[in-house]
Amino acid sequence: MKYLAFILLFVSGFSGAHELTPTYPELRPSYVSDVLTTNLKMWNARVDVEYYKIEVTDAMWNDVPFITEERIFKLSYMERREIEIFLPSDTTAQYICTRSMLDRGKFKSRSIISSKVCSKIK
Amino acid sequence: MLKVVVPMASAILATEFVQAQTEIVGNVDSKCIIISETPGVYGNPNPYQLTTAPTSGGVQPIIRYDVLAADFYKAVIEHPIDFSSSPNLDDVVTWSGDVEVSEVSDTNMSDYDTNKVEYDNAHEYQMTVAGSTWFKISSTADYGYNKSFPAGQYTAVVEAECIPI
Repeated sequence: MKYLAFILLFVSGFSGAHELTPTYPELRPSYVSDVLTTNLKMWNARVDVEYYKIEVTDAMWNDVPFITEERIFKLSYMERREIEIFLPSDTTAQYICTRSMLDRGKFKSRSIISSKVCSKIK
Repeated sequence: MLKVVVPMASAILATEFVQAQTEIVGNVDSKCIIISETPGVYGNPNPYQLTTAPTSGGVQPIIRYDVLAADFYKAVIEHPIDFSSSPNLDDVVTWSGDVEVSEVSDTNMSDYDTNKVEYDNAHEYQMTVAGSTWFKISSTADYGYNKSFPAGQYTAVVEAECIPI
C-alpha cells in the first residue's frame, strides 16, 4: 500500500505552491536618504520551478525602477527567501510580484503552469 | 506585625495570579497561494490538432488557489495563445481555450464562473470567499487548414496570477 501511494504520486504528476507575503507591504525610509524600502517573504513549494523573477510595477502594470539584491534568483524546493526592495521616495510603484521562471528544456509536450503572485504596496 | 504580613502576602499572591495569566495571540494574514496541481498534456487526436481534452488523449492542467481571507485577491488565469517551444512552424496556429472552476472548498464559490470577467485569453475571478478553488484549463491548437503539425515536442504555458485588490 505504501509503495502504491508512492507510485500514484509520480503517475499523477507533481504539484507545488508559490507564496509571497505580506499581501500589503508598507514602504519605510531606508538607511539612504530619499530611498524607501520594504521586505517580503517568498516560499517555493513548486518542485518543478527553481528560479523566480521579481517585478515591480505601477497601478497600470508598467515597470518602475527598483533595486534588489537579485532580480532573478534561485529558490530551491521548500526554501524560503527574504526579499528586500529599494524604491525612490517619489516612486509610483503599486505592485511587487514574483513570477516563476520555467525551463524550456524541462517540459516536453505539455501545457505547463507559470505562477505569478503579487503584493500591493499600502 | 500581622498588619504588615497580610497585605504583603496578598500582594504577592495577586502578582502570582497576574503572572499565571497567559495570552494566546494569533494573527491571520491575508495570503494567496498558487498550487500547480496537475500539469497538462496535449493529446494529438488529429494530425492538425493538439488538445488537452481528455477524450482526445490529453490531460487538462489544474491549478488550485488557496486564499486565506475573503475579498483580498483576484485570480487571473490565461490559457495559452502560443507555444513556448515547438518545431519550426510555417503556417498559422489557431488557438482556443477556456478556464472553469472544477472544484470548490466552499459552496459559496459556486458562482465564480458566472461572475468571472473574460478578456482576450484571460479569465478574471474575484476571490470573494476564503478557501480553496480548483481551476481546470482547456487548450486546443489547430494548425493551418487541417495541416499536419511537424513532428516534435510542443510546450505551451498557462499563466496563473494572484493579485491583491
